[in-house]
This record gives sequence, structure tokens and C-alpha cells, in this order.
Amino acid sequence: MPNAIKPKKSVLFAYLIIPVVIFVFAVFVPLVTALVYSFFQWKGGPVKTFNGLTNYITLFKDSTFWLSFRHNIFLVLVCIIGQIGIAFIFVLMINSKLVKLKGIHRTFGFFPSTVAAVSIGFIWKMIYDYNRGLINWFLDKIGRSDLQQVWLNNESLVMLLVAIPLVWQWIGYYMVILLSAISSIDQEIFEVAELDGANAVQRAIYIVFPLVKNTILVCITLCIAGNMKAFDNIYVMTSGGPGNASMVMAMYGYQVSFSQQNMGYGSAISVGIFVLSLLVIGGSQWLIGLMTKKSDV
Amino acid sequence: MKKKVLSIFLTVAMAATLLTACGDKEANNGGNESTPAPTTDSTPAPDNNGGGEENNGGGEESNGLAYAGTLELMHFSTSEESQGNGGSDGFRTMIANWKTANPGITLEENVLANDDYKTQIATLAAANDLPDVFLLQGMNTIAWADQGLILDMTDYIAASPYASDYNNSYFAPFTTPDGKIYALPALTGGTCTVIMYDKTVWGDEFPSTWEEVEAKAADIIAEGKTPIAFGNSGQWQANSCFISTLADRYTGPDWYMSMIAKGGAKFTDPEFVAALAETQRLFNQTEIFNKDFNAVSNEDAREYYIDGSATAFIGGNWDVSYVQASLEGTDLYNNTGFAVLPQSADATHQRGSQNIGLGYGVAINPAVANDPDKLAAALDLAYYLTGPDFSGFVAENYALGGLTAAPDVDWSKFDQWTIDFYNWSYVDTETCEIYDSYLDGAIWSVLNADLQAMMNGSMSPEDVAANAQAAYEANY
Repeated sequence: MPNAIKPKKSVLFAYLIIPVVIFVFAVFVPLVTALVYSFFQWKGGPVKTFNGLTNYITLFKDSTFWLSFRHNIFLVLVCIIGQIGIAFIFVLMINSKLVKLKGIHRTFGFFPSTVAAVSIGFIWKMIYDYNRGLINWFLDKIGRSDLQQVWLNNESLVMLLVAIPLVWQWIGYYMVILLSAISSIDQEIFEVAELDGANAVQRAIYIVFPLVKNTILVCITLCIAGNMKAFDNIYVMTSGGPGNASMVMAMYGYQVSFSQQNMGYGSAISVGIFVLSLLVIGGSQWLIGLMTKKSDV
Repeated sequence: MKKKVLSIFLTVAMAATLLTACGDKEANNGGNESTPAPTTDSTPAPDNNGGGEENNGGGEESNGLAYAGTLELMHFSTSEESQGNGGSDGFRTMIANWKTANPGITLEENVLANDDYKTQIATLAAANDLPDVFLLQGMNTIAWADQGLILDMTDYIAASPYASDYNNSYFAPFTTPDGKIYALPALTGGTCTVIMYDKTVWGDEFPSTWEEVEAKAADIIAEGKTPIAFGNSGQWQANSCFISTLADRYTGPDWYMSMIAKGGAKFTDPEFVAALAETQRLFNQTEIFNKDFNAVSNEDAREYYIDGSATAFIGGNWDVSYVQASLEGTDLYNNTGFAVLPQSADATHQRGSQNIGLGYGVAINPAVANDPDKLAAALDLAYYLTGPDFSGFVAENYALGGLTAAPDVDWSKFDQWTIDFYNWSYVDTETCEIYDSYLDGAIWSVLNADLQAMMNGSMSPEDVAANAQAAYEANY
């Protein structure tokens, strides 16, 4: 950069300090204070009693917390397959020469991810409604009213049912990321492959996938991080119910902190979420690293 | 590699922010202390404070309050809620009167919808930053009193100009085991468990036993209707609007008094477990209730009654005022009756009970007592909001009762619905306690979630009772 337009170091610093300060106060300070509070018995008042590792021992034995953790992992798996998998397929379809009006597909595909998760929750709650819901209405129309049920009250299905809106909402988001990655692939590669007689599926597996692999890894990391903190649409749809059948970690932390006014233990839960998320993301990176190394050989 | 580690760390940090930010209220609010600096005066004795004077009350100009400044008040009687809800309307009216009568005091109101209010007040309590005057929920009394978050009002209540008019049974949720009272019960005394039913279907009298209900329900289902609508998606409804009354018929009132006093009663006592088992049977093994009871809220379920797809509905007084407003002018309006929960075959205690009470009380931040003039103003406000003017207003306009004995009501201006519900609420029925006005929120959070699973049949009454007992022992 020519020196004439290069800003002074102090100017650069001044601009950068703003986001850094916000980040520090919005992320690191709460994180550290939560860590401190997690060593106290703090039942929502001025009185805080140091109780060492008691909260963590409770957390370790808390079956509801571990059930919530399993639900988060379930969400992560469903969303990696659903969001990124479907987004990848959509991107290939949109990129195909047969598809017209690509811009419209892109825009409408991206649209759900601009809607607030709470609204999405309400929309899907209506779709699942027993008396007036779209699904039961459809089953009735095709003469299969025997299959009608109170969808969100089915304990074995409810996690899948709350995951579907999440998948639906975020497909477009990953679609846009993948589209930008694919558009950077040299078109000549596809032409050569076509001349060599590679069909669409072969092109997807042997050309597109390896070339956008790194972008997919970013998507997976984003997907895991997003789903470890899932909260809003589930809160609207089921509040974690029936019983604790759709309880996720963030909602359990919220419930303990505010409904039960147990702020100390709630802090321990947030620290637990942090550590577990770190482990899951780290673990997945390690796993992916291992897999990509193998495929490179 | 370093970059990778850092990027992972940052991603996770962002993901975890959602929750951890919630744990930091004290740091954020620490500099926002709104209470005045302590004066050298000690807390005034109750007999020499201004609130105890004869001439207090909002209706008069200048009632001798020496305090000039701001007084914070936090409550949940929003203008939306006050439409048709007598308690809210009365509360707002009294606040407006008091403001007019005390022009020297700036009343800073913070009004939130009830759900938001509960979260907000819990957060402020955790930050030790409660407003000067606020509404205390019964179940928080003991925990908050222990932590010094609320002012001991025992002597001030005794010194109240309306002390002789108070219905003393309403103070129970705000009384700690050592007999100290921490709030003046506010709003209107309303039932949490009432059956509204269509007399053209059920007859003039609702069946008094569940067997009769089941027998009658078969005919109603054959007509393609739901016998009784109930909504429990919020999980608290099964507790407040069902178990609290049904279990009283099994355990008798002494059992719950023993639970409150830690007198040896347990959730695992066979009587309470029997009540849970009966609840499970009614919801899971009979067709009495709408199939989606666990997936819809009470707001949704009462619409089933309003639109005629259900022939009865179980809810609380807040549902009654909504249904009343919705049905006005229809045939169903004239044919709606009120009933208590039917009796179960194996229940041995009193029939005809319903759980009624004042779940919230006006409480005062102890820091207010540092300024005797301010305390006098806060007490004056608390007395006025819960005093005879309020009771008079809600009795005159809504046929509802408050903390003080209601004046004679001119019945001629009310319709049959209002008169029927008044008689049902205050005259014709026995009363029992509202469970979640007492004990601790942590216990109810556990029990309510388990109840929902139990009503689906996926958890046994014994397990529900055992979990609730464990939460009781850990938190109370």
C-alpha cells in the first residue's frame, strides 16, 4: 500500500479498539465472571457462599444436563446432514445449466435465515398443531387420519421435529457460503470433466467436493457452534417439553438460572456448555483433520 | 496451528456468550444503585411513620408525606392486561390516584407483562438491585427474606390504618416460618382452578365425581366434541390449575401446611402419590381431555371452549375474565356454569374445594428504610394499593374481592355471569392453598416438567414424587 493512503498506526489502533472492547466486555468478562460465580452457591440474591466444586459435582451427576447435551449432539448431527448436506445438493442443482432464474432461487433459499428464530418457532408450531396444523390437515386430506397425532407431544419424535425448522431455516445460509466457494472453481475443470464423460454425480464427488472441502469444514464448525447454543425456536415450540424430552443445554441453563433462581449452578452449567462445545468442536476438527490426511495419501 | 486453536476458542466463546452474559448482572448494575444514601437515623419505629397516619390514602390532596423525590414501583398490571381484568384495572387506578394525591413524589413505574416481570425481578434480586416497591411472588418469600432482599413488614402491617379490615388468611404465602410477614397481599383474590362448563351439555350441575364425568364424556366424544379442554404446554398449569386442588382432596390441608413448615410431610407420602396416579389416569387413560393438552397453552385450550369444540374448560380466574369478554352476547355466555373439580373415588378429604388466594404481595426494598421519609411514602403507597379503596373499586366494578373486606356491593348492575362467579369464588366453595404460592421455584420447576411427562404416561407417579422430594430437600 502506498504510504500516502496508509493510515497511521494510531488511527488503525483506534478503529480496532472499538470491536475489541465490545468483544471483551460482551464475551470475556461474562465468561470469566461466570467461571467465578460457578464456585459459589448463589440463589439469586446478594448472598453468595463459596462452595468449591460442589456445583461441578452436581453438574457431573445431573441427568437432565447430560440428557440436554445428548439432545444438542443430536441437533448437531441432524443439522450437519440436513443443513450442509441439503445445501450442497441445492448448490449443485442451482449451478446446473438446466436451472433458470438462479438469482430467484438464491434469494428465496436464503430468505428463511433472515427471519427471527422465534417467528420460525411460531410458524412451525402452527404447522405441527393437532387441530389446525398443516401436517394433520394433509394426513386427513389423503385419507390417513389414523396417522394424525399431537406431534410436539411425541417424546420420541420431538427432537427431530424441533430440528426440522432449524434445518429449513439455515439451508440458505450454507447455500450462499458454498455457492461462493463453487463459483471460484475454474469452469474449465468442469468442461474437461464433461468431455471426459463424467456425469453430474461423479463431478460432484470427484471435483466439486474436494475443491470446496475447506469451505465445508468451515460450515461444519459454524453448524456445531450454532447448534450447541440452540435455544429460541425450541423455547417457543416446546419449552423443552414434554417433560425434558426436548431440553437443550442453553435452555436448561436459563431455566436453572431464572426459573429456579439458582445463579451459581446456572453459571456452572454455562461453563459446562463452554467446555463441552470446545471439546466437540475441537474433536470434530481433529476427526476431520485425520480424515482429510488419509484421503490426501 | 496456533491460529486454528485461537479460531476455535473464539467461535466457542461466541457460542457461549448467550448464557454467560446472563450471569453478569451484578457487574453491569453495580454502579446503578438507586436507593438513597443511608442517613444517620435508624429505621423508624412503626408507630411514628407517616404511613400509619389516619389521613393517608390517595383520594385526598396532600396527605402529609414529608418525602419529596422519586419512588420506584415495579409491577405487571400493563394497560393491555387491565382490559377486562379487574385486579389490574384496580391496581392501575389506585396508582393513578396515589400519584395525583402525592404530587411531590415522582413515582417511577416499571411495568412489564407477567412472564417478563418474573424474569426481570429475579435478575434484579440476583443483582441486589430491586426497586423500592415491587410485587413479591409468594414462593420467593422465604428465600428472599433469608437474603435480606425484602423488608420485614410485620409491625408495619399491624400498624396499618386498615389492619382490622385485612383478611388475615391471605398473608400466609408472605409469612416466614418464624411468623414474620414480608408483603401486603395485592390484586384480587382469584381461584386458580375452576371448571367452566356448558349447562346445555352437562346439565345445571356439573358432575361431582370423576366417574360421572367419564360416563357423560362418552356421549360427548360420540358427538365429536372434547369433554374438557385443558392446556399444559407451559408446564405450570397442571400444577396450579389441577394438582394443587386435586391433591388437597387426597392429602387434606394439614399435609401441605406440614410441607410449608417442614413438619415431616413428604412428596413421596402415599396420599400425594395417589393424587399423582389419579392425575395420570385421568389424562392418560381416559378420553376426558383434549388429546393435545400437553402441546397447547391455557390460552389455546380456552379457545376450544369458546369456539364450542370443547364443552368445558379447566383454568384460573384469569381465563374466566377472558372467556367472559369473548362470549358476551352469545348463548354460551348465558349457559356457562362454574364448578369445582369433581371428587375422585379414592380421595378421602373435603370435596368442593378450590385453590384461591393472592399470589403476589406489595413488598418493599429494605434499603428504603434508610430514609424514614421515603419509607413512610413507600408504606403509604403499599397500604393504599391494597386497602379499602382498591377493594371498593374492584367490588363495585368487577364483583371481585381483595385483601380488605369488600363493601356491600350493589348487585343490580351485574349480570348473572359475574354474580355466579362471585358466589362461586367467595361464598359457595371451600378453599385450599395454591401450591406454588409457597415453597421454592426450584421445586416447582422440577415437579412441573415431570408432571408433563407423567401425564403422557412416560414417567411413573412414584418417580415424579421422588424427584420432587429430592428438589424439596435440596432447595427448601
